[in-house]
Parts: sequence; C-alpha cells; structure tokens
Amino acid sequence: MEFGWPEAQRKYRERVRSIIDRDLPEDWPEIHRHGLASPEQAKAGRVFAGKLAKEGLLVQHWPKEFGGGDGEPWEHFILGEEMWPRGEPRGPQYMNVNWLGPALMKYASAEQRERFLPPIIAGDVIWCQLFSEPSAGSDLAAMQTKSVRVGEEYVVNGMKVWTSYARLAEWGFLLTRSGPARRDITILLVDMKSPGITIRPFPGIVEDGHLHEVYFDNVRVHVENRLFEENRGWEPVTYALNYERVGVQRYQIIHDAMHQAVKELKRRGTFDNDPLVQRDAGIVLAKCEASRLISYEVVDQRARNLPPSEDASVARMSAKECIMAFNDFVSTWMPEVLSEEPIGGDWQLSWAHSFTIASAIAAGAYEIQCDIVATRQLGLPRGA
Amino acid sequence: MNFALSSDQQALLDGLAPILARHQEMPREGRLSRHYYDHGLDQALADGGFLDIASVEEFSPLEAALVVDAIGTLPSVVEAATTLLVAPKVLPSGFPRPVTLISGPLHFPQRYLPVAKIALYQFEGDLLAIEVDPDNVELADSIFAYPYGRFRQLPDLDKATRLGPDKIPILQQWWRVALAVEAGRAMEQAVNFTVDYVRERHLFGRALGSFQTVQHRLAEGHQYARGARYLALRAAWSSDPVDAATAATYAQIHIDQTRFDTHQFNGGMGISNEHLLHFWTYRMRALESEMGGPGGNAVAVSRLAFAA
Ligand SMILES: Cc1cc2nc3c(=O)[nH]c(=O)nc-3n(C[C@H](O)[C@H](O)[C@H](O)COP(=O)(O)OP(=O)(O)OC[C@H]3O[C@@H](n4cnc5c(N)ncnc54)[C@H](O)[C@@H]3O)c2cc1C
Repeated sequence: MEFGWPEAQRKYRERVRSIIDRDLPEDWPEIHRHGLASPEQAKAGRVFAGKLAKEGLLVQHWPKEFGGGDGEPWEHFILGEEMWPRGEPRGPQYMNVNWLGPALMKYASAEQRERFLPPIIAGDVIWCQLFSEPSAGSDLAAMQTKSVRVGEEYVVNGMKVWTSYARLAEWGFLLTRSGPARRDITILLVDMKSPGITIRPFPGIVEDGHLHEVYFDNVRVHVENRLFEENRGWEPVTYALNYERVGVQRYQIIHDAMHQAVKELKRRGTFDNDPLVQRDAGIVLAKCEASRLISYEVVDQRARNLPPSEDASVARMSAKECIMAFNDFVSTWMPEVLSEEPIGGDWQLSWAHSFTIASAIAAGAYEIQCDIVATRQLGLPRGA
Repeated sequence: MNFALSSDQQALLDGLAPILARHQEMPREGRLSRHYYDHGLDQALADGGFLDIASVEEFSPLEAALVVDAIGTLPSVVEAATTLLVAPKVLPSGFPRPVTLISGPLHFPQRYLPVAKIALYQFEGDLLAIEVDPDNVELADSIFAYPYGRFRQLPDLDKATRLGPDKIPILQQWWRVALAVEAGRAMEQAVNFTVDYVRERHLFGRALGSFQTVQHRLAEGHQYARGARYLALRAAWSSDPVDAATAATYAQIHIDQTRFDTHQFNGGMGISNEHLLHFWTYRMRALESEMGGPGGNAVAVSRLAFAA
C-alpha cells in the first residue's frame, strides 16, 4: 500500500496541463459560461478533444488493440481531474471515454468496434445516454420503450426523458424492452437523426440545455446496431453504470472550486480571521479528500484488473458528501456567487454548484447506491 | 498509488495476526472494568517487536499505522498509537513506554495515564516530557473505553524534559494521525459489529438488517469508516500536516453519527456489558475531542491548506 504518484503519471499530468494551457481557446471562460450542454461548448469541445486525441491523450488508458495507448486507468482519472475543474473542455464527449467506450470495447462486435470506436478516439462524436423514462429512473428495468424485431430491423416506440446532451448528439445508447421478462432488455446504438426521433429540450435548475425528452415513433434501427445479444442488454448496462459512477471526478471539481471560493473570501478579507468560515472550509476539503481516496480505490482495482465491485457505489456516495458540504458552504458564506452574473465574473463557482446539484440523482440515486452497498457489500438481507 | 498491501506489509500483519487472535476475546474482568488495560497483549506485542517498528529502517510510519489499525480490531486496548506514531517523532529513541498525550489541562483525567511512563505535555510554547510517577496517579472513572487516570498532585514541570518549541507542530501532526488511525478502525469495527447483529436479529417477521433505514445508515457508516481509515493511512504515508489534519477532521466529524446509528441499531443490547459495541463507540467518543475536536481540526485544515 502506498499513496504516491509514480514519475510517469506525474509527467502525464503535467503534459495534460500544458496541453490545456496551450489549446484552451482564449475565450474559454465566455464559452464555458454557456454551460457544458451548450452548442458553443460542444463545438469548442470537438476542437479541443480532437487536439487531445492527436496528442494521444484522449483515450491513452484504452488498450492498444482498440486504439488506445495501453495506459493505466490512472491516466483516465488524471485526465478527468485536470479537465473537470477547467469546466470540462472535452464537452459531452467525456461520457464516451468514461463508460460508453468501455461498454463498446467489452460488448460490441468487431464490426461495431471498427465503426464506432474511431470517431470516439478522434474526439469527434457526441453520444447521449437513452436510459431513463418517466416511470423508469431508479427502477430502470421498468422501462417501457419497446423494440420489436421486424426482419433485419428493430422498430422502436416510446419515450426517454432527462437525456443530457440529446440535441447535440449524433448517436444514442438506447435501452429498449424487447420481451416479456423484466430484464428482457435490448441495447440499440441509434443514429439520432433517424426518422421518427423527436427531441424536446426542457428547462431545469441545472445548466440550460441539459435536459431533454426524446420520443421514438416507429424508429427503425438495423439489427447490426444491436449491442450484444437480444434480451441480454442488462449485463452491458450494469457494466456501463459501474464505470459511470466514478466517471466524473466530482471531488476534484469541488476541491478546486473550494480553493477558488477561499481565494475570493480572502480577497474580501473575510476568511483569515474567521474560524467559523475556516472550519466549514476545512470540512469541505476533508470530505473531498475522503471521496478522492475512496474513488482511487476503485481505480486501483481497475488497474489491477479486478472485477467491478460495489466500491464504485461507495465512491458515488462519498461524492454526494463533498458536494453537499460545498454547496452548503457557498450558499452560507457567499450566496451572491450563485446569482446569474456572479460577482467578479467568477463563473466556476456557480457552475460547480449548478452542475453538481443533481449529483445524488443522476447516474443512479443516492439511495440506490446505499441499497447496493448495504445488500451486496455488507451482505444485509434484501427488504421484503 | 496502490491499495493492496506490499509483501513486506502483508508479512508484518501476518506476523501480528496470531498475537491478535490470541487476544480476540475480551476477558470478563475487562468487560466489567472501567480501567481495563490488556497488559498481556502489550507484553506480547513488545516481545514480538511490534512496538519497536518505528525504529526499524525498512518500516515507515505507514507500516506503524497499519499495525495500530490492526490492533484496533480488538475490543481490548493497549497503548500502541502514541508509541508507534507520535513518540518516535519527538522523543529520543529508546524512550520508555507507554506514553500518554496530555489533552486539556494537566489536572484533567488523561487517557492511559494509569499505565504511562511518560506524559507529553504542550506547555507555554514548549513540549515537555514528564516522567510519570505511578504513585502520583489515581484511577479516574470514565465512560470512555480507555483506562483514564489523573495526577494526585501536579508534577513538577521544572523536572520535565524540554523537547523544544519546534516539536509542537510535529507532535500535533502525528497526534492527529494517531487519533485518526484509531478512530477510523473503531468506526469500522462498530459498523461491522452492528452489521452482524442486524443480520441475525429478527423483528416484525424479518431480519432487522432488511429494513432500508437500517441498511442506508450502515452503508453510510461503512463509507465514513472507509474514508477515515484511508485518510489516516495516507497521512501516515505522506507525513504531510495537511493530510494529518484532514484525517483527524474527517474521522471526528463522522464519529457522532456512527456512534449514534450503531448504538441505535443494537437497541438495549448495545447498552449492556454482554455486548462489546461500546468498547469501540466509547473509544471513538474519547478520540472525538482530541487535538481540538472536529471544529479545531477543521480550522487547522483550512489554515494549513489555504496558507498561501
Ligand atoms: C441532471 C440530470 C441528468 C440526467 N441525465 C440522464 C441521461 O443523460 N440519460 C438518462 O438516461 N438519464 C439521465 N438522468 C436521469 C437519472 O438517471 C434519473 O433521474 C435517476 O435515475 C432517478 O430517476 P427518477 O428521476 O425517475 O427518480 P425516481 O426513480 O422516481 O426516484 C425519486 C427518488 O426516490 C428515491 N428512491 C428511488 N428509488 C428508491 C429506493 N429503491 N429506495 C429508496 N429511495 C428510492 C430517491 O431519493 C430518488 O431520487 C439525468 C437526471 C438528471 C437529474
């Protein structure tokens, strides 16, 4: 056991930082103010992700056989730790690298991998996740969107909701019900421009443009776009979700936002002599660091090729702790930065707040993580 | 970064395991006493060389912390944390032990004072090493699961060894590490103990542990204990004062909920001496206030981390 970064990983981090400094457009703060789900950031993200790809940094941690650099899962995390506090210059493409790519590498056919992986590796494609429905969020297996096989195609009808980045996406990772049993789920990789798809954005208290409804009206998807076997989609979904749970380095977003918050409070002269604000800031940092180490344990398991475990859910729980503490800190000590025009133009604080408020809901509610940990890790009996 | 034990670390803990196994059971007199100290375990650890590893070159404070962490799985206590993590940083090698850390005013009851040979005391900007005269110590009844004692008469501080003001921050840093290691393991033991209990206990026709409220709070306790343990071990590894304050803060801010929930789910049994739960929860309680408690340590995190 040891907690240090080897030289190679330190160098990798420095390289990522230098590329960010070099390649982030000058008007990045302005672009990022539109939010991660904005066309502006998605466009800039394509350029930036493309540059990362050319430098061999976007999917460095993927195996060589799939177009990566045979790097370590640690490199994936280092990349995320450097990207998120800067407002995620990859745009929505972070999802490709976090969970979509791993699911494709494990479950896609050779032909599908050849088709779908290269644009991801080049940093030039946006995907969205079409899982949740109005009556199937936490209870994902209750989904109703149907796929019916007709010849060489599936015909899809139904509706998805909450879909992040839907109107920006070229492709969707779509879960459909394809049989009578609860887990008869088939995954289709769907072209978002397909006839019969209607995308409706709706407003919310997360950043603008994030949330969508996606309707499927007799949408035809060729069987060659089915991921894995018919009715056996639950397995890749579980795999993908496990990756998604620790995909975003939330502890790092909060850690850096906290440093920014304290910098601002110091500038105002309200930090150095007030033990109450110092105490609260110390608690946020402590929770960030706990979440960091709990998340690192998951990365370490990946690095040692251990099978996915419930530790990803513990990590997800710990992220909620530091997010809550941070959001409480900001609204207690500097509520004015949450206004639309943050004082001093400090967009990062208000962004960190609005991006993270749904963190205990999106990608699996907090209570679902608690259930997983209690029953599968602690071995407590399932409820009645 | 590697969360798996190295072969040396594993060998160290494998060597310790049989000693711990022999002391797994708390003797009856221990269950009923408020001052129980496992002298047999102390002797066995000393004989096995486990209390000297701080002076062994191959081992770092992380290995010392792993030993303290492992000893913390037992319901009985021995003074190992200060010996292994704090005293070697401020006292010349070969110091007599057990060592106690004076918390609050000198006349207050102090943890481990009834068995201590040396007391470390922060006084007027200096760190003093006070030789403890056993005849000058009386037992203090306390609710905390450590033996407490107080000085009958305040020791003559002129006779104490002055270790120097530069030792104060060092003491504080390693005290934080030591308390965090002990607290993290105590939290984990309390949660594990309770998990076992609620699996077996049936109420309303089902296992108590099948109720979601019980499950979720234990899942949270499990998370807090894990965070506390890793932070403590990292602080031992890094020798960084920010890490030390962070570890102490994190453990201390989660003690209250962990203590409450674990007692709550053990019901009346958790209050009885039949049950071992309180040995861990009241260990946590004792550690909760040390080095400034959750507020003081959180302020220390801020002052150290945002100093620039
Ligand atoms: C900002 C944001 C972005 C999102 N992006 C996407 C996306 O891109 N793609 C996608 O498919 N989905 C997305 N989602 C949907 C997200 O996955 C769901 O919101 C989530 O799974 C919860 O489902 P729900 O909203 O239907 O809440 P419900 O399932 O109705 O649950 C409501 C609440 O009930 C509680 N609860 C639920 N089940 C249990 C239980 N078993 N025990 C105890 N309490 C329980 C929890 O507190 C939960 O928050 C996004 C959501 C948000 C907020």
